[in-house]
Parts: sequence; structure tokens; C-alpha cells
Amino acid sequence: MAANAIDQTRRMLSLVTYLRERPGAHVSDVARAFGITEDELISDLDVLPMCGTSFRGGDLLDIDTDGDRIWWHNPDDVAEPLRLAADEATALLVAARAVATLPGLREGDRQALLRATAKLEAAAGEVAGASSRLSVTFESEGGVFAEVDRAISERRRLWLRYYSPARDELTEREVDPIRLFAVGHTYMEAWCRLSEARRTFRLDRVAEIKLLDAPAAPPELELRDLSEGLVQPSAEDPEVVIEVGPGGRWVAEYYPHDSAVELPDGGLRITLRTPAPASLRRLALRLGGDGRIVSPPELADSARLAAGEALAAYDGHA
Amino acid sequence: MAIAKAERLMNLALCLLGTRRPLSKRELRGSIEAYLEAGTDDSFNRMFERDKDDLRELGLVIETVENLDGDTGYLARRDSNRLPAITLDAEEAAALGLAAKVWQQARLAGAASGALQKLRAAGMPEAEDTYEAHHGALEPRIPVHEAAFEPLMLACRDRRPVAFDYRKANAARPEQRQVEPWTLECWRGHWYLAGWDRDRGAERVFRLSRITGRVRSRAGVFSAPVPDVVTVRETVESWAGETATRSALIKLRSGCGYPLRAKALSSRELGDGWDELEVPYGHGLDAWLVEFGPDAVVLKPADLRADVLDRLRAVAKG
Repeated sequence: MAANAIDQTRRMLSLVTYLRERPGAHVSDVARAFGITEDELISDLDVLPMCGTSFRGGDLLDIDTDGDRIWWHNPDDVAEPLRLAADEATALLVAARAVATLPGLREGDRQALLRATAKLEAAAGEVAGASSRLSVTFESEGGVFAEVDRAISERRRLWLRYYSPARDELTEREVDPIRLFAVGHTYMEAWCRLSEARRTFRLDRVAEIKLLDAPAAPPELELRDLSEGLVQPSAEDPEVVIEVGPGGRWVAEYYPHDSAVELPDGGLRITLRTPAPASLRRLALRLGGDGRIVSPPELADSARLAAGEALAAYDGHA
Repeated sequence: MAIAKAERLMNLALCLLGTRRPLSKRELRGSIEAYLEAGTDDSFNRMFERDKDDLRELGLVIETVENLDGDTGYLARRDSNRLPAITLDAEEAAALGLAAKVWQQARLAGAASGALQKLRAAGMPEAEDTYEAHHGALEPRIPVHEAAFEPLMLACRDRRPVAFDYRKANAARPEQRQVEPWTLECWRGHWYLAGWDRDRGAERVFRLSRITGRVRSRAGVFSAPVPDVVTVRETVESWAGETATRSALIKLRSGCGYPLRAKALSSRELGDGWDELEVPYGHGLDAWLVEFGPDAVVLKPADLRADVLDRLRAVAKG
């Protein structure tokens, strides 16, 4: 990863302090302590001997490595631990406060986090103030979360009654939980024994949950990379085209899409992919006069049909 | 070959931290190779000003001192740059390590690792990976997809007024807003800005995904006082219809509409495959009910019933 110069400078300043206390430190240990790869560390170590208080006077850092251990031959007292910058204090404090509010976090961990936060606030001093300008709330699906968390740590199977909005129904299934993660909402990734596949469950859609005695036995799976977003439609999925007026522009905010082209009336023509276009009938109904399905035609027809049936149901209750 | 920026920044930092008396720009230029190679005085001056700003971003307190000859000198005093003593135990260190991973935004992710590295250099114990092993069940992530996030974060931090184009949920065209930004809050995975809307002379909440184009800085300072407590969440909840003051009576087909049932104040069986539910009636209930098509029928109030019928007719028309 190409290091950004500010991050690298910040890291090298800390590195110098760290190395001063640890003559002959191992490259692998230092890389782990700093959360970087050995290659990144080596590239820092290539730069450091060119740094010092005067290149002409020869006051350069005499730091070298044989690729295994690191030696600093002229350590000096420049290397003191540096105070936290406003962004550093903010990044860590806001994250720590958010994580501390997570439902289902073990009490011991929460206490450790709260203690660390208080110490950090004190050490950051006045720059801690800026952290109040950013805040993050995770959703609280408390009871369900605790059961899932316990199932993961005890490696046990779970029974769920789970709501599927696409079909508007509750299904019962047994799953082997793999992990919990929070991106806006809290989700469980699990091996679903009903569909024999990996599934992601949103915890606020779990209507009922039971911890089973059976051991969980999910197959060995590579964890999904979540940085690309939760929904990752495949190129083979059928295409759906929706035209919305100004009042339906929110669709582009909520649905990952391939394209959203501006229309002359202030609306959008949105093209997206989904494995099950029928599941978008709800969206078509919700849009009302603010949008319509252009294709596939079956989807447009099913929304029209459902609306017609609904109107008929009203006629019966005038 | 041009000298890498990180090396130049590192040298400037070491010179400023290493000196006991203020150094003039001339002296610094004589000590740092990259500045000697900078070419004209103009390009050196620009480079030097930018570098000083960059070092301040990463937390260095750099003082500017006028000496007797009227020359300007610079130094970074040890006292003002030293991290106050902070002692974290292994549990607290592990908790902060987990918190530092939640950012999915480059600047804050970099700042959070930078903070951990400074703490590590100051003696924070290393996690022995045990945290990962038995606490790894939970993976909170804070998503940041909105381009407006970083400029607004900096504007909130520095209390700088901004201007941006904002498209309200149902508006065809964006319009320019002049805002004194107070805080950013992430809720249900979306970012919101609270601040003072100068043109409306009132507090407003903005959803970052509806900001179009660039966030521009405005000269000057805040004209309105910043409240101690800013209530982003309550505003967003009322948009989402969660601050209902009335209730509605609906008919729901048996087995359908679990989320409506989960929110219902009361329910009873009507027989014939239908149930009657009383549900909270807040903003957006009409659009939500339409999603259930022929499986939900509004009994009262009349205004909700009329809204739902309007939407259904629009869809039935196609």
C-alpha cells in the first residue's frame, strides 16, 4: 500500500521513540506492534537514516537493519512520546465511545473500554474537545445480539424465526453462526442449514432466537470482504430499470446500483441488479406515483396487479 | 531524484523538536537537503508553509517567535509536545485496538492507527492476539461513503462556515445552503450534519448523501452560538416516522406483515384469515402500508386511508 506522507511521517516519529527503548528489536515484532507489514517497516527504515537535525553536520539517525533486527547506534533524546493530534484523539475517542454502546459487548470489555477512554481523554488534553463534534450510534438489537455472541463463543447452533421482507414471511431455520458485524445495523453472518449456503441475517429482523445444544459446524469459508459494501450484486444477476420522479430519488441512496442517470424532470433512471427481481415488488408499490418499473415487464405487471387487488380489498370495506 | 515528502517532513520535525532556540527559515533551509534543492525562494517558502501545516495536522505544536533582529524563528518545544503520562493495561490496550479498526474512512483510519502508534511508543502493552481470538465475534464498522464527510469533519473541527448544494428529499433541484456546521452524527449507517442554516436563521439537520457537488469553505466565524447539546437523532427519527403522536387501525392478512405486528399497540383476530391491529401513525406510514399490497387495509383514520388509496391508484394505473 502506498503510504501517504503524513501517515508515514507520523509513524516514523513514533517508531524512533519506540526503537530507542528496544535496541536490537526484531523487524517482525516491531511491524506487529505498529500494525504494518514488514515491507512497510523496511521502507520506513530506509528513510530514517536520511533524517536528522542537520544533514551537513552529520547529525543523522544512525539506524540500520539486517532485515531481521534493528539497531540504532546513536540514540538521542529527540525521541520522546508525542502528544496526540486533534484528528488522532477524535478518531480513537469517537470509535471507542461508539463501540462501548454496542449491545451485547461483554461487560468486562465495556469496562476496559470506558477506562481506556477516560485515560485517553485526560492524556489528549484540550484536543479531546474536538471529538464531541462527531458521534456514531450503532443499532441496539440487544437480546438477539447476546444470544448470537454466546453461540459464537460457545460454538453452538442457533434456531431462528427470521423475517424476509422480499416475501413478507417468517421462516424457521437452523444456522451455524460465523461472525457478527455492525455496518449501520448489526448483522450475523452464518451458514444456513436450510439453504446450505452462507447467509447474512440482519438482527432486527430476527423475530425469535434459541440457542441449541448441537455444536455449530460451519464449513471452512473465507470471510467476505465487507469494505466493498454489504450487497455485492453479481454481474449475472438480472437487470432492473426504474424511473423515479424527484420524490423517488431516495431509491438511489438506499439501493446499490450500476447507474443513475438524471432525467429532465429532476428524476432519475436507475439501473440495478438483483438475484430476485420479484423482491422489488414492494419497492414498486411503495413508490406509488413517484416512480415506475421500466423493466423487467413481469415485475411492473406484478406491482400493478397487487395494487389492483388491494384496491378491490378496499372496495369491500367502503 | 526529488526527495520524498515523508523524509522532508521527518527532517523538519526532528530539527524543530531538537532545537532549544528558535531556528530561522534560513537555518532550516541550510539543514534540510530537500529545502536546499527546492529551487527558488518562492518555491521553498510555499513548501515550508505547507510542511508546517502538515506537521501541525499530525499534532506538532510549532511556535513562531520573533527575535531581536526582527527575524522569525520556529521551534517545537519539548514540554508542549510531550504526551502526558498514560498507563494502559493489556485489556485497555486491546479494547482500543478493536476501536481503532472501526473506521472505513482513510483519514480517520490513518489518524486512529497514528494514535495507537504514539501510545505504543509511549509504552502501551501489546495485545497478545488473545483479544482477536476470543472477542473476535464482533466486528463493528463505521461506513463513510459520502464525499462531503471529510470537508465537513474538518469544518466542524475548525468551526468554519461552509456552503454546499443540497437536494431535499423531494426536491427536483438542489439549492445552495450556507451553514455553520456543528456536529456530524452517524445513525443507521448514514451520516447527518447538524448546524445553523444562515439563510433560514434556524437550526437544521442535513443528510450527507443529499449534498451534491463540493463543500466550499466560507470566510469568517460563526455568527450563532453553538448549543451544548445538538439533537440530530431526534430530528432524524421524526423524519423516519418514529415519533408518532396518533395511531391507526388496520386489517392485516394472517401470517403477513411481521414488522407491523412487532410495532402494533394491540391486535385481535377477526376470523376469515384477517387480524385487526392498532399501529403507531407517524410520518411515512402510508408508503409503508402500500408495500404490503392486498395484505393490508387501512380502516381509519380517513386521511391515512385516502393517502394509501392515492398511492395504490397511481401504481394500478402503471
